[in-house]
Amino acid sequence: MNRLTETLANLKQQNKKALVAYLVAGDPDIETTIDLMHLFVEAGVDAIEIGVPFTDPIAEGPVIQRAHDRALKNNISLKDIYSMVEIFRNKDSSTPLILMGYLNTFMFHKKIIEENKNSAIDSILVVDIPGELNLNDYGIKSSSINTISLISPTTKQDRIESIAKNSSGFVYYVTLRGVTGASNLDSNEISNNVNEIKKHASVPTLAGFGIKSASDASLLSKHSDGIIIGSSIVQMIEQNSVTKEFDRIREYITEIKQAIS
Amino acid sequence: MKTNKQNLPDKNGFYGDFGGKFVPETLMYALEQLETTYTKLKDNNEFKEKFYSDLSEFVGRPSPLYFAERLTKHYGTGSIWLKREDLNHTGAHKINNTIGQILLAKYMGKKRIIAETGAGQHGVATAAVAARLGLECHIYMGSEDVERQSLNVYRIKLLGAHVHAVNSGSATLKDALNEALRDWVTNVDNTYYIIGSVTGPHPYPMIVRDFNSVVGEELISQSKELFSAMPDAIVACVGGGSNAMGAFYPFISMNETRLIGVEAGGEGVETGEHAAPLNDGIPGVLHGALSYLMQDEKGQVKETKSVSAGLDYPGVGPEHSWLKDSGRAEYVAVSDDEALRAFHEVSELEGIIPALETAHAFAYLDILMKEYDSSANIIVNLSGRGDKDINTVAEIDGIKL
Repeated sequence: MNRLTETLANLKQQNKKALVAYLVAGDPDIETTIDLMHLFVEAGVDAIEIGVPFTDPIAEGPVIQRAHDRALKNNISLKDIYSMVEIFRNKDSSTPLILMGYLNTFMFHKKIIEENKNSAIDSILVVDIPGELNLNDYGIKSSSINTISLISPTTKQDRIESIAKNSSGFVYYVTLRGVTGASNLDSNEISNNVNEIKKHASVPTLAGFGIKSASDASLLSKHSDGIIIGSSIVQMIEQNSVTKEFDRIREYITEIKQAIS
Repeated sequence: MKTNKQNLPDKNGFYGDFGGKFVPETLMYALEQLETTYTKLKDNNEFKEKFYSDLSEFVGRPSPLYFAERLTKHYGTGSIWLKREDLNHTGAHKINNTIGQILLAKYMGKKRIIAETGAGQHGVATAAVAARLGLECHIYMGSEDVERQSLNVYRIKLLGAHVHAVNSGSATLKDALNEALRDWVTNVDNTYYIIGSVTGPHPYPMIVRDFNSVVGEELISQSKELFSAMPDAIVACVGGGSNAMGAFYPFISMNETRLIGVEAGGEGVETGEHAAPLNDGIPGVLHGALSYLMQDEKGQVKETKSVSAGLDYPGVGPEHSWLKDSGRAEYVAVSDDEALRAFHEVSELEGIIPALETAHAFAYLDILMKEYDSSANIIVNLSGRGDKDINTVAEIDGIKL
């Protein structure tokens, strides 16, 4: 069974909320990314979302854009990311891994994605394709990965229905109008929309974009099956990319984890 | 705003294999809303009347089709005719599209206008129409372009708009588009994004083409009137491709007219340092559309090189990709040096200083005119005037202004 589907089902059974954490592969370098992924898991993260660096990440705010730029300076390609994941899997064969990126990079590496050696990757989230479509529609066929679709506050009802039905793994609810790392959460809107999604989705609904504090996390987890944190962690990676002392990230994840339990 | 019998894009926004709608989910509704509005209005008589009367009274259309006597003599073969888009208010073809899109914005009740700009012409054209309606206007411009097009930056500011210099990536047009899209995702409820070329997600390439095709429509009647035939060829520069698309579109089904797009060859296409995706690119997705794209072997978008800020873009409108693959249009490239030579030549021979972008189209006449005899009629789409480029050219020529 797909690790992501299994993990989320287990959490649901135990009435627990999922915590997904994001980083950009190769920021500041591949070795550190692998260390950070293990640190995430030790600190209580249930699944890891790996950002695939792209030159033109239009959905990202300044913090994650800079992370993409740092990774690109190291010439990180999707091929390097699959090799990185292979190393990670030597020590951790159970944590679900999700690739998040832009269609152009995925279209360029169809073969690697289809091969998905040892089913190392569980899921792919393409930021810039309409939610009703998935990688299959772009000629990338793989049974071992599922596709996570995004639904946003501006998605109309009829599309919520078709996107929710199309999403496997989980439905990613974008909590705000904006780029990653923005801050204008509207609690009422979020709860209404997530409830609407839940009517149609057979998979869990997780909320992301704009979660900064433990109280944001706590609020959003009440409405959803779990949350995704990104920019705040990437900022801490940036601040400590020279010393590579990431204790603050460990503390932050622990804090968020407590806030959603 | 006539529809051509090719009848593209299809309902999903595709021109053959190219086009589409590749954007973050937050923008999908805004694009649907725009398409619905446009579909409703484009055949509405009141809307059309308003569009054409604004083009006439605010822009000064129709623009003349002017016989370039000395340039024609210079080559000694066919007649060269210039479509004088440089005479439009604000100095380029860009205003045709902004006149149309601001009417859509007004109809949709949007209070805030955003746009990206490379050479600054689209920024000026957007700021002008926004000022006219009293709408708040924000222009995104790569910081490198802010520097090389400082005259236009000041014009935009004089027109009451805000200029945001974009430092990310290559700090040129592509990055300005990224930033404008991010603004739109954030402010989608009250903001209308006026894209300046036939690029971006569906329905933009179609809308921008339709508004700009007033150029090609005028060319049909002016050609009949001035030389009683359809032109043998139309030559236009191609960055994103809006001036070329506007001139080409009404001619697509007239196979007797060759359609020739000239891309920015930068240091030379063979060097890889250029902005010519149709000559040296592979299909990929950027800024919401699938089209020819300059990218590396890892699927990353390459930085481009061109003396002309308006052509300095790694992508191209999807309909051009379709025209290329279907063989209906030809796409060539000329280098910075060739464009600069043409810039001076046209200025001296015709008394018209063309934009550096347009100078690319002129430069190709060196090759093209050899293929014709004196019976031929060749049209160059003189997409914009060159005042904005004077600092750039003076610096290259080692002259301090």
